[in-house]
Amino acid sequence: MTAPAPSGGGQPGDVASRLLQPGAGWRLEKRLHVRPWHELAALLAALVAAATIIGILVSATGYQPWESLGALYNGAFGSRRAALETLVQATPLILTGLAAAIAFRAGVWNIGAEGQFFAGAIGAWWVYDVWGGLPAPLSFIVMFAAAALAGAAWASIAGGLLVRYQTNEILTTVMLNFVILYILSYLLAGPWQAPGTPYYQTERMADVFFLPRFTSDSRLHWGFAIALLAAAAVYFLIRRTTLGYEIRGVGSNVTASRYKGIRVGMVTLAVMAISGAIAGVAGAGELLGLHHRLQLDIAVGVGFTGIIIALVARLHPLGVIVTAIAFGALLNGSTAMQYETGIPRALVDVIEGITLTLVLAAAVACRYRVRRTARDG
Amino acid sequence: MSDTILAAERVTKRFPGVTANDAVTLEIHRGEIHCLLGENGAGKTTLADIFYGVYRPDEGTLRLNGEVLDLHTPRDAIAAGIGMVHQHFELVPPMSVVENVVIGTGARQWLDLSGVRRRMEEFFRDYDVRIDPDAEVGRLSVGEQQWVEIFKTLYFGVEILILDEPTAALTPQGVEHLFRILRRMRDGGLTIILITHKLNEVMELSDRVTVLRGGAVVDTVRTAEVTSRELARMMVGREVLFRLDKERYQPGEPVLEADEIHLESDTGRGSLKGLSLTARAGEIVGVAGVSGNGQNALFDALVGVRHPASGTIRIGGESTHDKPASRIARLGLASVPADRIRQGLLMDFRVKENLILGLHRRAPIARRGLLDQGAVNDFADESIAGFEIKTPSASHPTRTLSGGNLQKIILARELSGKPKLLVVHQPTRGLDIAASEYVRQRLVEERDRGAAVILISEDLDEILQLSDRVAVMYDGRIISVAARDQVTRESVGLNMAGVETDGSASGEGPS
Repeated sequence: MTAPAPSGGGQPGDVASRLLQPGAGWRLEKRLHVRPWHELAALLAALVAAATIIGILVSATGYQPWESLGALYNGAFGSRRAALETLVQATPLILTGLAAAIAFRAGVWNIGAEGQFFAGAIGAWWVYDVWGGLPAPLSFIVMFAAAALAGAAWASIAGGLLVRYQTNEILTTVMLNFVILYILSYLLAGPWQAPGTPYYQTERMADVFFLPRFTSDSRLHWGFAIALLAAAAVYFLIRRTTLGYEIRGVGSNVTASRYKGIRVGMVTLAVMAISGAIAGVAGAGELLGLHHRLQLDIAVGVGFTGIIIALVARLHPLGVIVTAIAFGALLNGSTAMQYETGIPRALVDVIEGITLTLVLAAAVACRYRVRRTARDG
Repeated sequence: MSDTILAAERVTKRFPGVTANDAVTLEIHRGEIHCLLGENGAGKTTLADIFYGVYRPDEGTLRLNGEVLDLHTPRDAIAAGIGMVHQHFELVPPMSVVENVVIGTGARQWLDLSGVRRRMEEFFRDYDVRIDPDAEVGRLSVGEQQWVEIFKTLYFGVEILILDEPTAALTPQGVEHLFRILRRMRDGGLTIILITHKLNEVMELSDRVTVLRGGAVVDTVRTAEVTSRELARMMVGREVLFRLDKERYQPGEPVLEADEIHLESDTGRGSLKGLSLTARAGEIVGVAGVSGNGQNALFDALVGVRHPASGTIRIGGESTHDKPASRIARLGLASVPADRIRQGLLMDFRVKENLILGLHRRAPIARRGLLDQGAVNDFADESIAGFEIKTPSASHPTRTLSGGNLQKIILARELSGKPKLLVVHQPTRGLDIAASEYVRQRLVEERDRGAAVILISEDLDEILQLSDRVAVMYDGRIISVAARDQVTRESVGLNMAGVETDGSASGEGPS
């Protein structure tokens, strides 16, 4: 069917607006321009709705909603210590969020930040293992570089398969997550296992290799600053460089990009490598800043949470920082809430899920408006 | 004779941001051919879709034989005796003609295949249309598929037949055949509503014509009482010039030499099968042809998005073999694709970002891998002024611009480098008259400047108006090339249908 060609904007044949067209009274219409206050209003409405549903849910399970909410807030921001711990939780999420955001900008669905995170951590530990004698400032640079390279290389396996054989990158990146975990398990059970212990973990690093902390009363380490720098770098890359322009171009319209001479394959490879490198840096940051030894649980879902953060932040690097801190707060606060009120961890997951669903729904909803229509005879 | 069968009374239909039909009042008489004339976006198709039950009017009433007509779906319309053939057919390609008609009759216990076949055979015999009722629809030409759609609609016993731009994909001879039959159908009592933006079709075929502009009815007149010039003025709202300023034809050196190129298309249709074509500096070579004869493959091969399996393409003497599209562009090639939204623009981007697409790796736009924002803004401001692009600002989202302004963005970008070779495909498709005039004048200016211009178009009028030489493409090859003054509409039309005329290839064609 041909559209009657209104100049630009929503197509009259638009499925949503036609399906949602009731016989009388009201109808849903696509907005031609979505303005920032539309998005803000939708976001606030989503948060209010989420709070209401969560309140009902918490009371229904026999807990005090206000008290629980208070505990959540106090756990996340209630004290200086709590607030700094929130930033600690946010640090890897900022990086994995950036990793997902930049790949998604190019329309490349890198779902494997979790695996690239571990590749990075392995790379950093390998440097420590081989060149343990490097002096401190140099050792950080070399270890982070190795982590970035390892993450990039791991992601590039999927990138190469995608460009060369059009293999679906969603599948390959997810499958590579498992592969790297098995490699890590082998290393931790074999060559790198701390001697004389039954645990699947390496020995602890020497203190001089710990990333310095900002304060003595919290665990906040340099990794947070690195994450902020990475966000600024990704912003600069996307907005100011020709490569960033091409990344956005490929993500916006592959066909037109190809017609105008953009080498889509090269851009795909580059963005996969960059995305993997950022996730790899996250792995090194957690290893050197927090855990100081390689073990299987240094990342619990940070790769996947990063995907959600990227989507909620609309793939905007600075939005990723804000969103990652919000998620860090939720993680940190929910732990405290669990201690204080006894709300089970599973319920906390439900709360996260509801919030997320509503926030994502708001992102779609703000593109529409409801209009009253005149009833004709 | 003037008995009203179908009427619209103050029909209004709004879509987000646009009023497609604004209090349209109109009467269709029984047994007439009534044209709805207007530019793209005038609201013709929306009005027809309201008659056919696709949309419900926001305000106003339809009447059939004086009774109020309340349509919810096309099924209601067909039941009321109103049928429509859209520009994009609703046929199932792997099924036969008969099967396609049967599907449309809806769910029944028994399929009356032989009854349908008998009826279709009668139709085809009566109206002198040569189609095998058992042929697979996907293997029929676009013109034949249109006949299937028309007779499918007639099979349902409609009294009113609405046709949306039915001549778009036909050769001149095909158009003549269609018109001859439509007249016979009218004489047999059928009422026909024909949507078009072509003045000559209105003048030739219709009894009455309603001109729409900006969603509103300008006037309904008897065709015999107006001139095409008057209709054009009603349609555009001002005097229209049908003239281009063009300098004397002084062709220079060959810029493009394509020799025996073969390129398989993914779908099987529209491959290049040994195409040869030359274009010299300072000339416009029109490539005419019915769509689906390899135009897309030709465009892709010249631009370098796909590389020919065999044969050579030279631009300025240099082979484009295995060069990526960006390198070929640097040989002096610029291009305007047929589907500007899909192939030419990044609709999510700002206007200024689209203006630099393809130039974004070269100085002065880019320096050492960084975009020079100052240079981007200067270039955008220059382009917007130079090409009269109507946009609130250079940073405005591209998505909100009209088709004419989108095409101006592409032209501004492509012409900025003073190309030696300009390849344009359907450059005025979907544009209003003013924008079309503008685009055509720009193409002629490029030719006068000394560029070689390849104009691939399915609009024969456009080809005949602009070209210095006319090539005709059929089944993946150029089957005739001749100087503009050596061809007529009819001779080109015959070539478009696959008839190779004597001597055409020997005169001007590449050796």
